[in-house]
Amino acid sequence: MKKKKFIRIITRLDIKNGFLIKGINLEGLRVLGDPYNFSQEYYKDGIDEIFYVDNVATLYGTNNLSKFIKKTATNLFVPLAVGGGIKCIKDAHRAFEHGADKIAINSAAILNPKFINDLVKIFGSANVCVSIETIKYDDKYFISRSNGRDIEKLNPFEWAKKMQDFGAGEICLTSVNQEGLGRGFDLKLYEKVSNIISIPILAHGGCGKYEDVQKVVKNSNISGVVLSSMLHYQYLHYVKLKKITLGNTTYLENNFDPKRKKINHIRKLKEYLNANNILTR
Amino acid sequence: MKLKAFYGLPKKVVFCKKTLISNQRPNSELEFRHNIKTIKKTVKIDNRGLSDAWKYSLEKKKINYKDREIKLLELLDMHRGKHGKYDCIVPGSGGKDSCYASHILKFKYGMNPLTVTWPPILYTSYGLKNFQNWLKTGNFKNISGKRNEELMKFLTKSSIKNLLHPFQTFILGQKIFPIKTALKYKIPLVFYGDNEAEHGNPIADNVTSLRNKSFHTLRDKDEIYLGGIKYTDLINKYNFKTKDLDVFLPPTLSSFDETNIEVRYLGYYLKWVPQEVFYYSVKNCGFRPRPYRTCGTYSKYSGLDDKIDDLHFYTTYIKFGLGRTTYDVAQELRNGHLTIEEAKKLIQKYDGEFPSRYFSEIMKYLSLKPKEFFNIVDKFRSPHLWKKTKQKWTLRHVAYK
Amino acid sequence: MKIKKKIGIIDLGSHNLFSIFQAVKNLKHYVKIINKSEQINKFDIIILPGVGTFGNAMKILNSLGMAKELKKFSKNSNKKIIGICLGMQLLLSEGTEFGKHKGLGIIEGSVIKLDKVKLNIGWKQLKINKDKSYNFLNKNLQKNYFYFVHSFYCSPKDKNIIKAKFEINDTLYCGMFIKDNIIGLQFHPEKSGKAGLIILKNILK
Repeated sequence: MKKKKFIRIITRLDIKNGFLIKGINLEGLRVLGDPYNFSQEYYKDGIDEIFYVDNVATLYGTNNLSKFIKKTATNLFVPLAVGGGIKCIKDAHRAFEHGADKIAINSAAILNPKFINDLVKIFGSANVCVSIETIKYDDKYFISRSNGRDIEKLNPFEWAKKMQDFGAGEICLTSVNQEGLGRGFDLKLYEKVSNIISIPILAHGGCGKYEDVQKVVKNSNISGVVLSSMLHYQYLHYVKLKKITLGNTTYLENNFDPKRKKINHIRKLKEYLNANNILTR
Repeated sequence: MKLKAFYGLPKKVVFCKKTLISNQRPNSELEFRHNIKTIKKTVKIDNRGLSDAWKYSLEKKKINYKDREIKLLELLDMHRGKHGKYDCIVPGSGGKDSCYASHILKFKYGMNPLTVTWPPILYTSYGLKNFQNWLKTGNFKNISGKRNEELMKFLTKSSIKNLLHPFQTFILGQKIFPIKTALKYKIPLVFYGDNEAEHGNPIADNVTSLRNKSFHTLRDKDEIYLGGIKYTDLINKYNFKTKDLDVFLPPTLSSFDETNIEVRYLGYYLKWVPQEVFYYSVKNCGFRPRPYRTCGTYSKYSGLDDKIDDLHFYTTYIKFGLGRTTYDVAQELRNGHLTIEEAKKLIQKYDGEFPSRYFSEIMKYLSLKPKEFFNIVDKFRSPHLWKKTKQKWTLRHVAYK
Repeated sequence: MKIKKKIGIIDLGSHNLFSIFQAVKNLKHYVKIINKSEQINKFDIIILPGVGTFGNAMKILNSLGMAKELKKFSKNSNKKIIGICLGMQLLLSEGTEFGKHKGLGIIEGSVIKLDKVKLNIGWKQLKINKDKSYNFLNKNLQKNYFYFVHSFYCSPKDKNIIKAKFEINDTLYCGMFIKDNIIGLQFHPEKSGKAGLIILKNILK
């Protein structure tokens, strides 16, 4: 009998100026609310892991999540991964001290692949995740850094293998083209990558329906899926709204509906997957 | 030390405290008369350090868009289905603004817009895809302007040489072609998008103002300059045909006789938040941002269909000390999407970035040697803005210091 | 009447003590981080957390004089030691990471490298050995998942102390042992959601 696959259900929260934002193709900074309130609700509803990304950290050369990580880690009892602008050992230490369980690195690794090696030696493979953003352009795949801004002449397949060789514990692979559209994962991408590397791969970008998760799991050897739009656009109605002072709040102003009935999408997704022979927590 | 200021630009450089734009930024140009001797009208910054655009953005917050929408509905009711198959014109090329405008007019307000395009000089592959998706997803009929490509190339090259303004003829066509199309097909309502520059005026042009513009332009052909070259020279010296040049000229006076044309800004009636327009166009019109950051700035969703666009902003940086990042952050600051510190960091990081991606291709296309181009560039650096230290040019004044 | 326990968490200079600290605090106990050996005896329960390598961790425990204190502490039946992940492994006689190292020897046995995988990272269920003395170890717990992240496992000499096992590719490994006042957890209770907190709550009683 074929062994059932176990999949981790993870959510990613992009944070700017302390607010949860959500773009499309990693562009646009639509504000959806208070990330702390979202993460608490997700934890209550059974999310397996939470991934925070400060997605303007590399752009501005800053690293602002510490206070925020601490606040979240105080009440969160599932793994917390943190990424965005981590470019030296000191930055990594700071993230862990404030309660992160894992750090995710992208831009810094592209500029200096050996950095991953250094991090792994001190913190262990298990705690170092490499985030890869991949953009499909003219039918070819490239990788990018600085949250989809600067494209590099490397392909994600070679890059993932290289990062595995340098000791990364897992890879979070984001399809920038699919990201934010809710039209499904880039199935070919994950199929190909999971045939090349053996460390865990997390699929991120494009999930819109429960079915999309099932498709990518059946089609490749990933260890987990990372969901953003699919959850945030639903949960923004269930979560306590805090005063937002900066950013593109137009969508929230026009769409926030506190009367909307709360549905535990995380449980429903897991039930759907279980019914389709996929194990979840 | 008194420094000379080119183009009649204000000698003292002042930055708006809230949007970081400087008083060197020119207002819209009367492109027909544009030659090297033209004195530019520029953005006003008052003695409190606030620009008009900033003050207008504060006014904008008080607007009641419910009322505005009612006005829009009244306007649309007057035209819907009343002019044959198409009842309004939306100019554009499949960028986020034209996608949004045309889509919302058709699918929310029940209009049947005719899309009109003055094609980019050099289409980017993803820009072309956006254009095609735009038409396909909206099932829009499109009329694209045709021009003599040799003439277009010549004028583009000349406008670089004479004005360091590669987009001059493109901008001209962009403004004129939709009007001519409206007159030709007798569709009197033309919708542009954002009315940012117009400070609260819904009407860009009506038949009177357009007629006046045509009148003044066509009256004295000696006064017309295209690409910095006199119209009469283009005919007599460079042997271009009048029928080819015609496409760059405003409509004839007689063409106004039958149509009571009106050009309006949709952005007057609907709250125009560029980022939200981006999301809308991705969701509904198949629009996709550039696969990488636009040269000279930090974003990916604006001005991405013409390869010459990057070069254009490089020239604004040379002539006015204002690159693409400055324009982009000014807009985001007005919308409350960025902090001043962030804006300053972005300007420092990206403003004036050399447009390397398409540069060689453009030079080849125009048969212009890069060395020649750089000589032209240096000629246009106004001494009151630029100084040269040890072979390197630097701006005397920047927004982030 | 609930008696507030004094719980001390040993600081091995590793990162993220924050989570276990918060988890214990959340259960309304008095909790402090310990970095001096003299402090150890003041507490009722010592938690030995773990991230890092066996050899390095033992070096630190020895240099701070904590190894001696912990061994003494373990002999007091009124006190309790809870080892989590690497902390659990340190309780054993010896480890084999980067060569043979002596552990605390509080539990007889060895720490061995996982052979089926390089790293066991992720969620696994536990197979519980029902034991009347610990009624929180029941069938209900078996449907939960717990978070593991390790490359070595514990092999205690006395198999009877193993109360829960986890499985990798059809092989079972020690997930939890309890010997009188010494408890070892291979998974991270502070990272295993509500189920983890339930286990933590019960072993802190």
